[in-house]
Amino acid sequence: MGGSSWPLARTTVRVVVDAASAIVVELSGVVFSWPAVARPVVNVASLRIARGERVFLRGPSGSGKSTLLSLLAGVVTPQAGAIRMLGTDLGALRGAARDRFRADHVGYIFQMFNLIPYLSVLENVCLPCGFSAARAAKAKRTAPDVREEARRLLDHLDMGSAEVLRRPVTELSVGQQQRVAAARALMGAPDLVLADEPTSALDADRRAAFLELLFRECERAAATLVFASHDISLAPRFDRTIDVSASLHDPQPRPQELA
Amino acid sequence: MILNLALKSLRNRRFTAVLTVLSIALAVALLLGVERIREQSREAFARTISGTDLIVGARSSPMHLLLFSVFRIGNPNNNVRWDSYREIAARPEVAWTIPLSLGDSHRGYRVLGTTPDYFEHLRFAREHKLAFAHGTRFENARDAVLGAEVAQALGYGLGQPIVIAHGSGEMESSLHKEHPFRVVGILAPTGTPVDRTIHVPLEGIDLIHTGADEAAHDPLAAAVQKMRPRQRSDPEARPISAFLLGLKTRGGALSLQRVVNDHAREALTAILPGVTLLEVWEVVGTAERALLAMSVLVVVVGLAGMLVALLTSLAERRREMAVLRSVGARPAQIFGLILGEATLLGVIGVALGGIALDVGVLLARPWLQSHLGFFVEPGWPTPREAGLMLSIVVAAGLVGVLPAYRIYRYSLADGMTIRM
Repeated sequence: MGGSSWPLARTTVRVVVDAASAIVVELSGVVFSWPAVARPVVNVASLRIARGERVFLRGPSGSGKSTLLSLLAGVVTPQAGAIRMLGTDLGALRGAARDRFRADHVGYIFQMFNLIPYLSVLENVCLPCGFSAARAAKAKRTAPDVREEARRLLDHLDMGSAEVLRRPVTELSVGQQQRVAAARALMGAPDLVLADEPTSALDADRRAAFLELLFRECERAAATLVFASHDISLAPRFDRTIDVSASLHDPQPRPQELA
Repeated sequence: MILNLALKSLRNRRFTAVLTVLSIALAVALLLGVERIREQSREAFARTISGTDLIVGARSSPMHLLLFSVFRIGNPNNNVRWDSYREIAARPEVAWTIPLSLGDSHRGYRVLGTTPDYFEHLRFAREHKLAFAHGTRFENARDAVLGAEVAQALGYGLGQPIVIAHGSGEMESSLHKEHPFRVVGILAPTGTPVDRTIHVPLEGIDLIHTGADEAAHDPLAAAVQKMRPRQRSDPEARPISAFLLGLKTRGGALSLQRVVNDHAREALTAILPGVTLLEVWEVVGTAERALLAMSVLVVVVGLAGMLVALLTSLAERRREMAVLRSVGARPAQIFGLILGEATLLGVIGVALGGIALDVGVLLARPWLQSHLGFFVEPGWPTPREAGLMLSIVVAAGLVGVLPAYRIYRYSLADGMTIRM
């Protein structure tokens, strides 16, 4: 946690008010700090993300990108402020209801180790439908059943061959694992896909290919994408970039004043 | 969904899972085995003394009287005079009596002198009468009727001459070579000490002991003779070790017991076999409880092994839990996953333990029967056993609460980042 003695909260998200009509995510005055850490790791005065937007969250590791994604996923709740998603105030939901909301509306891709080692590729992809009837119902809109939809998605991500499907997930390459994770995140067309450094374990060629696939499938599912990475070379491919650590090199007014 | 995940997760970690299940299964088999031997030995004891209202012997402890007269454990240390026996047997409320004369043996098997009433009135396992597999009851003084196990173990058939010795045990103190008996009947198996007994008429016992010539050159035999003064051929002077007694109406047992205990001419003890058996269980119960406690400890060790296995797997599974959370699993479901795994391990372990016990019983039954006299039967668990099995499953679930709670805490604290 650096030796910064800034009087301000270290992490601030630059506010970009989007004029797009349908707002998927809306944050106002969100402050979050991990237990036993006094300084907030996330301090967002205001943030709106519109439907279908591809948003790039940049910032060095430890800057609060992952925590912001956790907040968006509703896995953790802020100490102050409100997060509205699809018009629903996440803070007003109880824990279990928030989990159900996430199951219904959010797909998540981790940096690595995305897959449950004891499930097959297909079972991993079908996992969200086991926790959300809504996702299962959506999956069945485009395919006869959930497994068929999983196959279709894997096929689109070049992971549909019988040989790959048969293999234990632990024997897949990192690139293959990330594509399976992307298929799972997109399963049942969630409104929001959150990706936490999903390409950092991939080499440059695979990174570009993965990003292409992810964009294409998000577009097909009409999903909004929030993509966190420290690799700014990826930023130009996104609709918008939010610098999570903006305050470090571009001092902002105090967040309170911003709001 | 969660149970399905638990099952697949266990299959993934099958090596530890199998070891855990095995240790639980062994512990369960041990616990149930102890329990079954306890139950079935009690049942076997209880089935040995059906239908007998009172047992009368010389003044001694009730337990001692019960053990030697019915279970052939220990030896009588005093006799009942024949006239006392006749007097009590002649009382109007008495329906039948079976005199018992013990103290001799043949190749390690007890020899019991009695009357044909034995075959008429003795009951085992509620209302079963003794049945003959071969031959008939004894009629002459030198006839013998063998219990099923004696005939089988010694390979004796009808017509076999046998020689009876003083004392009991493998070392027979003085052989009565000049008075061989002849096997005239072999009883069907009863699952009671009758199977291990050689029955001869009281007159036969008299005959053995009238020829007192060996006492002249065997001081040990002389001592035995003195304890059992049967030298006189007069049947009225013949002492017996004890007798079993059946009443015309059950209700009179307590009052007759009092009468016998107050018998003026001889110090006698009359016992209600059921009551005395309960006293025996009180004594045996301590050892049983110790044995049971040890087997319970083994179960605890088995469950502790499971706890260790689950706890050590937690660190590597935090990532797995974060993934499950990301697809919408509630912390309660994460908790349920671990709890489900523990319970599954318990269920499989208990089921395997039960099966292992039955298979073991099936294999070891002949040995247990011939060497220890246990009649253990394979079969469905009794309600008590089922209760034990259920409590082990519940205990396994409870053991799962600790790792489940820890992973639950992790999954709340970790969020989408896995912070080690």
